[in-house]
Amino acid sequence: MRKTYLISLCFLFFLQTALAQQKNIKLISCNFQQATIAQFAADLESKSSAHFYYDPTQFDSLRVTLQITEQPLESILYAAFKNTNYHYAITSSQQVFITKGRQIKTDLAPGFITIATASNTQTSAVADYTDDKDKNVPDATTENKLYEIGTRTNTIKPGNATLSGYVRDIKSGEAVVGASIYVANTKTGVATDQFGYFTITLPRGRHTLNVRGLGMRDTRRQTVLYNDGKLIIEMQEQVNSLKEVKISADKVANVRSVELGVTRLDIKNIKQIPTAFGETDVLKVILTLPGVTSVGEATTGFNVRGGSADENLILLNGATIYNPAHFFGFFAAFNPDIVKDIELYKSSIPEKFGGRLSSVLEVTNREGNKKIFTGSAGIGLLTSRINVEGPIIKDKTSFIFGARTTYSNWLLNLLPDAYKHSSASFYDVNLDISHQINDKNNIYLSSYISNDKFKLNSDTTYSYSNKSVSLKWKHNYSTKLFSLISGGFDRYQYDINSTANPVNGYDLAFNINQSNFKADFTYYLNNKHTIDFGLNSILYNINPGTFEPLGAQSLVLPQVVAPEQALESALYLGDKYDVSTNFSISAGVRFNIYNYLGPQTVDNYAPNLPREPGNVLDSTAFSKGHIINTYAAPDIRLSARYLLNDNLSVKAGYNTLHQYIHLLSNSTSISPTDVYKLSDPNIKPESGDQVSLGLFQNAKQNTIEMSVEVYYKRLRNYLDYKSGAVLLLNQHIEQDVINTKGKAYGAEFLLKKTAGKLNGWISYTYSRTFLKQDDPNAGELINEGNWYPANYDKPHSFNFTGNYRFTHRYSVSLDVAYSTGRPITLPIAKYEYAGSERVFYSDRNAYRIPDYFRSDFSINIEGNHRVHQKTHNSWTVGVYNLTGRQNAYSTFFTEQSGVISGYKLSIFASPIPFINYNIRF
Amino acid sequence: MGCKKPYNPPPVAGDGSYLVVEGVINSGADSTIIKLSRTVNISSKITTNPVSGATLTVESDQNAIYPLTEITAGKYGAPGLNLDASHQYRLRIKTLDDKQYLSDFVPVNITPPIDSVGYNIVSVPDTGLQIYVNTHNSNSSTRYYRWEYSETWRFHAAYFSLFISNGSSIVERQPNQWRFFCFASDSSSDIVLASSAKLQNNIIYQNPLTVISSTSEKVELQYSMLLREYALTPDAYTFWTNLKKNTEQLGSIFDAEPSQIKGNIHNVNNPNEPVIGYISACTVQSKRIFISRNNLPDLWKPAYPYTCQIDSDGSQGPGFLIPQPNDFVPMSGSTYTSSICADCTLRGTQTVPPYWIY
Repeated sequence: MRKTYLISLCFLFFLQTALAQQKNIKLISCNFQQATIAQFAADLESKSSAHFYYDPTQFDSLRVTLQITEQPLESILYAAFKNTNYHYAITSSQQVFITKGRQIKTDLAPGFITIATASNTQTSAVADYTDDKDKNVPDATTENKLYEIGTRTNTIKPGNATLSGYVRDIKSGEAVVGASIYVANTKTGVATDQFGYFTITLPRGRHTLNVRGLGMRDTRRQTVLYNDGKLIIEMQEQVNSLKEVKISADKVANVRSVELGVTRLDIKNIKQIPTAFGETDVLKVILTLPGVTSVGEATTGFNVRGGSADENLILLNGATIYNPAHFFGFFAAFNPDIVKDIELYKSSIPEKFGGRLSSVLEVTNREGNKKIFTGSAGIGLLTSRINVEGPIIKDKTSFIFGARTTYSNWLLNLLPDAYKHSSASFYDVNLDISHQINDKNNIYLSSYISNDKFKLNSDTTYSYSNKSVSLKWKHNYSTKLFSLISGGFDRYQYDINSTANPVNGYDLAFNINQSNFKADFTYYLNNKHTIDFGLNSILYNINPGTFEPLGAQSLVLPQVVAPEQALESALYLGDKYDVSTNFSISAGVRFNIYNYLGPQTVDNYAPNLPREPGNVLDSTAFSKGHIINTYAAPDIRLSARYLLNDNLSVKAGYNTLHQYIHLLSNSTSISPTDVYKLSDPNIKPESGDQVSLGLFQNAKQNTIEMSVEVYYKRLRNYLDYKSGAVLLLNQHIEQDVINTKGKAYGAEFLLKKTAGKLNGWISYTYSRTFLKQDDPNAGELINEGNWYPANYDKPHSFNFTGNYRFTHRYSVSLDVAYSTGRPITLPIAKYEYAGSERVFYSDRNAYRIPDYFRSDFSINIEGNHRVHQKTHNSWTVGVYNLTGRQNAYSTFFTEQSGVISGYKLSIFASPIPFINYNIRF
Repeated sequence: MGCKKPYNPPPVAGDGSYLVVEGVINSGADSTIIKLSRTVNISSKITTNPVSGATLTVESDQNAIYPLTEITAGKYGAPGLNLDASHQYRLRIKTLDDKQYLSDFVPVNITPPIDSVGYNIVSVPDTGLQIYVNTHNSNSSTRYYRWEYSETWRFHAAYFSLFISNGSSIVERQPNQWRFFCFASDSSSDIVLASSAKLQNNIIYQNPLTVISSTSEKVELQYSMLLREYALTPDAYTFWTNLKKNTEQLGSIFDAEPSQIKGNIHNVNNPNEPVIGYISACTVQSKRIFISRNNLPDLWKPAYPYTCQIDSDGSQGPGFLIPQPNDFVPMSGSTYTSSICADCTLRGTQTVPPYWIY
């Protein structure tokens, strides 16, 4: 009905326009009543030679009511859109562009044609959107708009300019970390840092920035670069592909980055991986990566390329976490609702990190939502958790809070008998605040506490806790130089007490405190050089053990191992140098200075004799603050990449590392009673170096990533222990440790599919790790001074992690892990002694436990994806250890009633179903 | 979910068999007993492999020599040596294949008397009786202790058989043919150690020795324990702690790795030859205690270690109980059961130990 009315109207006016056409300027009459854009455009097109261009979705709410007689087209458009947010532009060829918010420039962007044109006639009404002057940096939200960077000039000057800025999530205002910005025509690219900040140097002129971020929709920005300037890129979350596995933010990074052996995983990927009891575990997932093996099923300890578990530096928002596990080691102590992503460095460890031999694992928390209050809650078999986040000052200050607690006592009944009559509890809390002072200054406060308490066989109580707080200040001096200054305090402590026997009632306490100061600078010298430099300093304060009476009747003699202090400092300088488009190198040096500080009494041993009580010559007492001894050594970090073609590169790296803090543990896993020891005149720092070589290839538009890496690694002064060494409350630990050498080598193969319904990765690793103790002064030789396999030497390791998405709401995940059994020391003879059979052990680690195999399966069900509902929920249902294989955690021989028998201990020996419910609000 | 299963490793054969020396140089009036044996392969059926024909002597640092004589195969002894505690002693072993072994010189530890042996009723991990020892040493020189014990207990068979077959007919048992009450004994197989090194006073308070389950036959009538106490040097204590860790305390999640156990006995000509054992010298203290059923909770019920039932030919009469196996075919009117259920002498002895006090 309405249509016919409109059509008749048009016929009515047709006659009048026909008259108007006879003149040079076509005059149009029209009468619109609540006309839509389509009707409006169609009518005017029919009355003129103009063609209309517009995006219908932007105009769905537009209704035009207008009555005009005999006016030029431009006047009609003016009258229709005046005082609205809509703009029009008419080109000389009668093309009409109607836009919302911004006007289209109808002349060519300056610089598009590089021939200098002196005249710049302003024929069309063009808003100069770079005319922001002191206004904020433009938020670039649109793909097809042209953003001008720097002060506009009529001609593009030759040479380069630097563009810097932030990449943010449009919804929450959160920084997008590790987003890649790639400029196709110059083949250059950068990735955003932990604050979403980037700097790229480009030739002046027009560029298309291709932006890709983890879990974000790929986007691009059109820019004209006149001078140095800033740009904020806002990206949209990729809501439709909640379950798509993307292992790396930067799809081209696999091939193009200079680094080797670096993996970043987003929390979304981590959440897909089935775990025992369905508790998302940010540490378990790294065990699926090549070159990383597990210490054992019930521990979060992991070994990277033949390094022991204490050779990994685990950082949570920059804070060192000494015991990253809950509940004996069954779960990671990181709240999956707060964690944003993790990054593991196995080979190319940036200069700014140091102090550990094998790897750096960086766990980064999300920033709180800067725009709205939101949160989530989850219920699992073991823990309940909640997280709340939101703005304190909108767009400026936000907070994020997360907490978890457990009701896991029931689990203990499923454990081996030794854990019967036990109880356990734990919690962890995160609170992070970020604040943007202005364009150039940001501050970040993060705090974390985790606490565990358990009682074994209801007589001994164990508790341990990590605490950390840090403050970071990020300052941009210019678009090329920025700094991150941070200070923080980390503490790890444990306490064991028992009053089961009143006379022997005791309380044993250990703690380690470290105060950190870091000043990290990044300077983007030009498009070929990015320079990192800075200073790190850690002041350690270790209380190696106090043993005190507990209870009125206790006769325990208080015993204190003297506290230790040390200062570990490092100065570093690194340069990433793009020699050519195909060849890049990254070279750096980190100079470590370690001071062991008083007050302390140090024993002096006779040279070239075993460190035994009889060989102590005398001891020297040092006063407070006195530098007892200093170790100084440079770390070298080198890596290089050569692009063979767009999708294939070869990389090589070499690095050296030093470690000054040692975990004293003669069990294979990290146990809650292990002690840390600082290097001192009698215990040398551990050192290591690694050379690695890799071949990296992408295929099918970067959706398939392949890599092969080989490495060879040497370790020196790795600590091993004499037979029967006592590590706890030992006043002379140097008498019980022996220095060993290590060597590790291997080849790692990885195939990843990052997009599509089926995605995931397959890895295979062949690796060997050997140790050797041949120091005749050590007092005893292990295996006659020959090389022997380390506890975590597992030659073959295979992992498959896959996810198949049926629809946006349903997906299934499958995880398969296989590895050679770890080496063990088996008895070779038996005898009778003290009323029982006893065993005599072979050479160390001469045999192996049975191979390890496990498969896990889970189904992820998302609630509906309607945007406007109060809560979103999801379910995860699955089975851990699908085949129920009884993998050996350990094998051991023990006496019972006078007879020795062999046993195999399995931790998760049957299929374990789990269910997890999450709600987001 | 977690589990502990028997495990048989691949057959491993050691390339040798090593000398094992066990015993203590008793510096007091009691006899010194040293046992010599050799290790056997882990898969071997036998575990005892005694070494006979060796010559053993205890030597002092003043060159005094006290010979030992072989009592039974591999067991060598000497009557009370009454050694001077101000000197150090060692053991010399000369085996038949002409190898010489020497232990390190060790001082004589004076073991303090045992103060008391008592018990607690415990409920964890299972309900039972935990027996403990209290001791102290006013002379603070020795702070490390080891205990060994022998247990003896009186128990009864499942059924009291009043009849027996004499080969042709069933006759009533004479009291000397009753097989209901017996004595059984055992000796400690776990290593029991304690130290007061971390305490202000040299006191050992309620150090657990063993736990007897409430269902054990050991506590169904009367139980006795003879406890022997040995004072140790710190070095000897380390040896025993390692031996215990390596052979008894494995199987937890945070196990220490098994390590070589270093004793103090060496082959004179080949110091690298492993020799298992540690020779200490000390006086020995002992104490015997009795625990009667009357002092234990009434609800405790012994679990008979065998499944027992009474069979009959269908015409059961009272008191007719005959143990099997028996060549006699049960006659009409008799009831019978397996001999393990009616004859306690299959598992113990009816000889009353000389020290027994009812």
